[in-house]
Amino acid sequence: MKKILFAGLIASLVVTYGFTTIQSMDNCDKKALTEKCKKKLEDFKYDSQKFSKINFLERDQKLEVEVPVFVGEKYRMVFNTSYLPKNVVISVYTKSKDAKKREAIYSTKDAIDGIKEFVFDAPHVRNMYVDYDIPIDSSNPKLSGCVIFMIGYK
Amino acid sequence: MFSNKKLLVVKTTLFIASTMLFVACGNGEAPKEDTAAKAVVTEDSTASNDVPETSYSLPSPLQIASIFKKSGMKYKADLTSQMKDPAKYSTNLSKALNLGVFSADLSYCVLNKQSQEAMRYMKLCRSLADNLGMGSVFDESNLSKRFEKNLGNEDSLAYIIAELQMVTDMYLDENDQQQITSIVFAGAWTESMYVGSKVYEKGKEKGLNTKLAEQMNILGSIVNALKAVEKKDAAIGGLIADMKSVKDIYDELPSVKNNPQGEDSDKPMSFTEDEIVKLTKKIDELRTKFINGL
Repeated sequence: MKKILFAGLIASLVVTYGFTTIQSMDNCDKKALTEKCKKKLEDFKYDSQKFSKINFLERDQKLEVEVPVFVGEKYRMVFNTSYLPKNVVISVYTKSKDAKKREAIYSTKDAIDGIKEFVFDAPHVRNMYVDYDIPIDSSNPKLSGCVIFMIGYK
Repeated sequence: MFSNKKLLVVKTTLFIASTMLFVACGNGEAPKEDTAAKAVVTEDSTASNDVPETSYSLPSPLQIASIFKKSGMKYKADLTSQMKDPAKYSTNLSKALNLGVFSADLSYCVLNKQSQEAMRYMKLCRSLADNLGMGSVFDESNLSKRFEKNLGNEDSLAYIIAELQMVTDMYLDENDQQQITSIVFAGAWTESMYVGSKVYEKGKEKGLNTKLAEQMNILGSIVNALKAVEKKDAAIGGLIADMKSVKDIYDELPSVKNNPQGEDSDKPMSFTEDEIVKLTKKIDELRTKFINGL
């Protein structure tokens, strides 16, 4: 009987340990981030969300998320960078990074240091491209984090 | 009293248990915003090259149904999938595609106040989600029960479906199954376009024609989103070819060639009757293939 109890205890601890380790593997509490972003959507209806894993490298990088939108709809985008160890500039464009000429319709470039949540009510456009400009980091080859954006419409 | 052997077992067990609890507790709590930076060092040795430079965020089936509804699209009975036995779908691809088909039908019924039909599609969605191992999302925040309780209240149901979409997206992301998200949307988009084009055939409303044309504009993103997850399931290659076959027809239509919906274009495009027939025929084919689980 005692052996069974011990085996049960070990098994449950292994399961708990394994689950917690998986949950924290990319150091990103997705549930908490989703909840935070959803609150900022207010009366906009949830449409989609995108988590992006960011690995800081010894070179700067640009990651892009293509977001198809529809003319005539009102959109709100909410970004949360709480789980990033360094600042990443978020910009929104109407053209992809391959376009010869483009201007950002939104950017966090001049945001006050320490702000981790950003809300952008988009104008009527046909396409949106969210770009993350990731700075160089040579201090730690394994430095990484995650960023989320959520989009709502009405 | 314990014998020496038993005492050793107890000590070993307690040591393992306390070590595991210490490690688990240390990782489980979300870091506070200002301390997050210190916590973010992964053990991932492939950190330099495992993130794609471009990714995709596809819209929800509910938004597409909402856009069609705003254009004045009326409800027509019997256009939605009449499949009553989701157990027929045996592969993950056909399950996910038809979860998308049912999601689109669910959204169409909810926005058109067809409560009983909506309930039927909700159950079908649940059944396929169970089959895909993700049925638990329906129990999150009592979504299933709240849906049932709010039957007849279109606004509340729409918000519940949006919430269901959110917990599903999060579940699939946490479980590294983003390919399901793209496959489900491919099924939902095809079903929405099928229903939209059939309603258009009957009423020929100009507003709906424009919205059908606008929806075609996102087909490229769907194909690219599927390509991005192609390695996760060998069957996705066939789906990409299917979706691309619709895009190939669209790209060759005179209305598209003469008025490309480029990023600078604000002019809404519409199709001629011949063009709609061509596209509808291909979408019909594809939709039949999906709902027959081929």
